[in-house]
Amino acid sequence: MFERLLRNRVLSLLLVAGGALAVLGLLAPGFLTAATLGSVWSSALVLLLLSLGLLPVLLTRNIDVSGGSMLGLSAAVLGLSLNAGLGLAPSIALGLLTGLGCGLLNGLLVVGLGVPSIVATLGTLGLYRGLMLIATGGRWIENLPQDLKALAARGALGISPLGLATIALAAGLALALATRRGQWVAAVGDNREAARHLGLPVRRIEALAFGWSGLCAAAAGLVYAAQIGFIPNQAGTGTELRAIAALVLGGVSLLGGSGTVAGAVVGVVFLTAVDTALVFLRVPAYWNDLIAGAVLLGVLLLDGRVRLALAARDRAARLRHGHAGRDGAR
Amino acid sequence: MILRLARRWEVALLLLLVAEILIFGLINPRFLRPASLLFGTSDFVHIGMVAVPLTLVIIAGGIDVSFASTIGLCAICFGLAHHAGAPVPLAALAALAAGAAAGLFNAAMIRATRLQPLVITLGTLYLFSGAATVLSGLIGAQGYEGIGGFPPGFTALGYATLLGLPLPLLTFLVLSALLAILLHASRLGRLMVLVGQNEDAARHAGLPVDRVQALTYVLTGLAAAVTGLMLTAYFGAARVDLGSATLLPAVTAAVLGGASIYGGSGSVVGTVLGVFLIGYLQQGLQMSGVPTQVSAALAGALLVAVVAARQVGALLRDRLPPRRLLAAGRQFGGPPAVQTESLGGGEER
Repeated sequence: MFERLLRNRVLSLLLVAGGALAVLGLLAPGFLTAATLGSVWSSALVLLLLSLGLLPVLLTRNIDVSGGSMLGLSAAVLGLSLNAGLGLAPSIALGLLTGLGCGLLNGLLVVGLGVPSIVATLGTLGLYRGLMLIATGGRWIENLPQDLKALAARGALGISPLGLATIALAAGLALALATRRGQWVAAVGDNREAARHLGLPVRRIEALAFGWSGLCAAAAGLVYAAQIGFIPNQAGTGTELRAIAALVLGGVSLLGGSGTVAGAVVGVVFLTAVDTALVFLRVPAYWNDLIAGAVLLGVLLLDGRVRLALAARDRAARLRHGHAGRDGAR
Repeated sequence: MILRLARRWEVALLLLLVAEILIFGLINPRFLRPASLLFGTSDFVHIGMVAVPLTLVIIAGGIDVSFASTIGLCAICFGLAHHAGAPVPLAALAALAAGAAAGLFNAAMIRATRLQPLVITLGTLYLFSGAATVLSGLIGAQGYEGIGGFPPGFTALGYATLLGLPLPLLTFLVLSALLAILLHASRLGRLMVLVGQNEDAARHAGLPVDRVQALTYVLTGLAAAVTGLMLTAYFGAARVDLGSATLLPAVTAAVLGGASIYGGSGSVVGTVLGVFLIGYLQQGLQMSGVPTQVSAALAGALLVAVVAARQVGALLRDRLPPRRLLAAGRQFGGPPAVQTESLGGGEER
C-alpha cells in the first residue's frame, strides 16, 4: 500500500498538497474555505490551459516553449478584433484560429523540417512575441467590452463560464487520451521507431500535438484577457516555463510517453495554491519565486531519490530470484 | 583542404555576419564607423559572456537555463557585500564564489536526481532569482533601482578601454579564447565532447562523466558572475533582473553557432560569431529606424530560418550520390549539422 503510494506521483503529490494545505488551514483559520478554493481555481486557469496544451507535446517527447508568446499573440488578435467592432464570438474564433495556426507552424518546423523542438519553439517564442508587438504597435489593448469580462465573472457554483469550459476541456482531453487512438500519442513518445513500425502516423500525431498546444495557448489568452480586462505587451511572458514546471511537478516525464491529465491538474493547482497561501500568510511578494523554486526542486529531489531507490530494489529482486521481478519502476 | 574549410559551418556564419554588416552599412553609413562598430558591442557582449560557457554545457550533453538568474544573484551578492562594507575586490570575490556555488548546486542536483538538466535548471532559474529578490529585499532595495552607491572607480570599468578595445569586449574575447583552448586543444575539452556524444559509453569507458559535466556548469556559473559584475559596472547598480534578458539570446547564439542541442558537437568560434550576428542584427535594425519589437521578431525568425536551412541542407546532403562522399575520402566530412563532426575532426588523424 505504502509502496503503491510512492510509485504513484499524482497520489503522493495530492497527499503532500493536502497535508500542506491542512497545516496552513490550522495556522491561518479562514484559509480553507470555498471562497479561497474558488480563487485558487480561477487564478490557476491560465496556467492550467497552457499545461493541458503542453501535455500531449511532452507525451510525444517534444517540448514547446513558445506558449507564452502564442498566448500573447492570440490575446492581441482577440482584443484588436473586439476593439475593431467585431462581435464576441467571431473575435474569439479568430483568436483561437491564431493560436492553432501558430501551433501548426511549430509542428511544421519540427516535423517537416526536422528542427529540434526546443530550438524551433525558442525561435517562434521570439517571433510570435514580435508579431504581437507589431500588431499592437507596442501599446496595451484597453477598453475591452463588458461581455468579454462577463465570461470570467463568477457564475453558478462560484465558477465562471470559462472555468466550467476549462473543466470540460480537461475532462475531454483525459477521455481522448484514454481512447485507443489517444494512446497513440504516448506511444509515439515512448518509442518513436516502434510506433512507426506499428504503422502509426507518427508525424501527423506530433504535428497535431503542437497544433493542440497552440489552440490551448489561445484559450489561455482568452481567459487572461477576460480576467484582467486589458492586454499588456508582456501578457504571458514566462508562463511557458511555469507550465513546464507544473507538469514536471505533476509527474509528466520530459522523456515522453508518461503523464496524465490528473497529474497536470494537480501540479498546476499545487503551484497556484502555494502562491495563494503565501498571499494569505502575508509573506512579502518577493518570497514567491524562492519558495516556488524550492518546492519544485524539493519535490523533484525527493521523487528522483525515491524512484532511484525503487529501481535499485527491483533490480536486486530480479537478480535474487533469477527471473523478472516487479516491473514498472520507470 | 580549402573545400573542406569552406564547408564548415563557421565560415557560413562569418559570411552571413559580413553580409549583415555591409547591408546595414548601405542602409545607414553611420553603422560602418569603426567607433560605432566597436563600442556598440558593449550593449550585447554580455550575452556572449554566458553563451560561450553555455556552449560547453550543451556540448557535454547538458543544458543550463538558470544562468539568467545567476547573473542577477551574483550582482546582488556583490552589492550586498559592498553594502556591508567590504572593499570592491573582496565583494567581487564573493560574487564569483556565489556563481561557482550556483553552478555546483545545479550539477549536484542533476547528479542526485538523475533528471533531465532542463528540469533542474528550470527549478533553479526560479530559486536563484527568488534568492536574489529576497536578498535585495532584506536590505530594502526596490526592484528596479537595485543596489547602487559603488565607487566611481568601479563603475568607470564599464566604459573603460584597454588596448583601444572597450573593456567588456576585451573581457569577452579573452574568456572566449581561454574556453576555446580548453574545448578544442585540451584533454578536458576532448572529454566534454566524448561525454556529450555518448554519455553511457563514456561512463562504461571509465571517464569521469559527472566531474566533466559539473565543471561545465561551474564554468557557466563563474562566467555568469563575471557578467553580473560587468553589467553592474555598466549600469551603475546591482539589480535582480540584470540577466533576465540574456536567456533566449544566449541559447540562440549557442544553437546558431552550431552546437547540437543533443550534445556532442559545437564550437566556441561558432558561438562567438553567433553572438556578433545577433548583436549587430539588433543594433543595425535599431540604427535603421526599425522599432525594437520588429527586431525581436526578426531575431526569432533568424534562428528558425538558419537552423531550418541547416537541417534541409543536411537532408539534401544525405541524398547526394555517394560518389562525392567517396571522392572526399571519408564518410563524415560534412559541416556540423551531422552530429559526427568531432569524429571527422580530431581523432581520425
